[in-house]
Amino acid sequence: MSSPSNQLARKNFLIIILGMNIDDKISSVKFYVDEEYAHLKIKNEGTCLRCETKPCLFFCPANVYRLSEEGRIIVAYQACLECGSCRVACPFLNISWDYPRGGMGLAYKFG
Amino acid sequence: MGKVKADFEYDVVIVGGGPAGLSAGIYLGRKGVKTLLIERGRFCGAKNLFGGVVYTESIKTLAPEFPNVEPFPCERQVTEEGYLILTERGYVKLTHSKEDRTHSFTAFRAKFDPFLADVAQRAGVDLAPKTKVVDFLKDDDGNISGVIVDRPKSFFDSSPASISAKVVILAEGVNRVLSQKAGLYSRDFQPEEVVLSVKEVLQLPKGELEKRLGLKEDEGLALEILGFITQGYPGLGFLYTNKNSISFGIGVFLSELAKNRVRPYELLERAKTHPFFQRLFEGAEVLEYGAHLIPEWGYKGFPKFYGNGVLVCGDAGGFVNPLFKEGTNLAIYSGLLAGETAFLALEKGDFSEKTLKVYEEKLKESYFYKDLALAKNMKDLFLRNKHIFSTYPELLYEAMSLFFSAQGKFKREVIKEIITLIKKKRGFLGVLKDFLSFARLFW
Repeated sequence: MSSPSNQLARKNFLIIILGMNIDDKISSVKFYVDEEYAHLKIKNEGTCLRCETKPCLFFCPANVYRLSEEGRIIVAYQACLECGSCRVACPFLNISWDYPRGGMGLAYKFG
Repeated sequence: MGKVKADFEYDVVIVGGGPAGLSAGIYLGRKGVKTLLIERGRFCGAKNLFGGVVYTESIKTLAPEFPNVEPFPCERQVTEEGYLILTERGYVKLTHSKEDRTHSFTAFRAKFDPFLADVAQRAGVDLAPKTKVVDFLKDDDGNISGVIVDRPKSFFDSSPASISAKVVILAEGVNRVLSQKAGLYSRDFQPEEVVLSVKEVLQLPKGELEKRLGLKEDEGLALEILGFITQGYPGLGFLYTNKNSISFGIGVFLSELAKNRVRPYELLERAKTHPFFQRLFEGAEVLEYGAHLIPEWGYKGFPKFYGNGVLVCGDAGGFVNPLFKEGTNLAIYSGLLAGETAFLALEKGDFSEKTLKVYEEKLKESYFYKDLALAKNMKDLFLRNKHIFSTYPELLYEAMSLFFSAQGKFKREVIKEIITLIKKKRGFLGVLKDFLSFARLFW
């Protein structure tokens, strides 16, 4: 087993050398962004502030959920891959979840 | 059943243009049933993602001439299939060659589903893409008798259009929100019941795919990857060869990602640092990234498959057998059975539960329902027994390393070392227990 500091060094290595960046990955996906309808919303911001683990910052495969400098959760629904994970894995079920409107959102070229 | 007023009238409305919905549509279209298929994506397949391999046998039930179709909707025939077991630096590869070269093909959803949509359209099914079903239409007795969509009634009336149907077939995919609304599920699924998969399509310089994997141009590889690929978390990786690219992905139970605060795409990047993949993916370009949930609630989480005027099939019904990589074909088979049942109900002129119950009987007779009943404890075993994803891959690799590096050593000593290794890593009792609990799944 590698030690925690080893793991951290490895992680830094990954980020620097491989340029691992979720934004790069997301940029390979085609979206028809619906500017008029945000299909993901936080139900109650206070609940997020009280949430200690904030797992949405991790499990979301598109990094839709990000932390602002003031510690609030920001929802970048435009990059959503519509997988549905946040609908059930938010520990407080605090995300109001819907699909984008018909024809909007993600459109895979390969899938 | 009371009469409802709607803007459009159909005999059957299908929600979702994946393989399940399209299969139901193809069956009904060929029977001359007035059928509408509603798809929220820009085209059938636009929202869909899988590993992925499709099996010829199930496709032939929809298009008997397959694989002799133009343009060919798949990528490569699978000629080598098996497992890649990873430790941090090493690997054990166990594959078999496939005699039947038309048995299965690698494919992309966004290219394969349009092929099925074309078959459905030629069978006479009306397709309505870019349309989302937002609610059900109900008759006076509260029975489902159609759907309401997020499209306006007409140019002059912007209120949502309604479409009446005698039977609504739900093929909405893993996020079964309408099926829940229809009362077929009593609750939402839990993070323990789904696997979150992330996948990349990686393009290699021309000719490199064949060179690096030892394949000919008409040969393809399908690998399930176990061990270091998921950092020991319960789940699997996969690698499938397309024409000029590789589909590479990792799926881990959503509950594990959430609990351990793991970013799924970091698992993907970390896997790429493994010598096996470093070599394979050198100079590769990411054509597309994507993510999808795999329904693994299985037998224990099965819904009621029918209600008054409604049936559920495909992922929405939980028809995935992860151990045997069956998803697309179960979607096809369950979709066909839903189609058959809807047709039967139309012939009888009765769309109540009493008639639609036939669907459940048909399902229970199918091989895949029996498979899922047999493996009903599998998910619990995988979540409980994490040795499968960490201890055993390491054990296998180290045992093989000892076995094959024994020059200058008395072989009895080598065997002793291997036995000591097993004792240290898991213990004989542990191995026996694991073996029995796995074997019990199938007996």
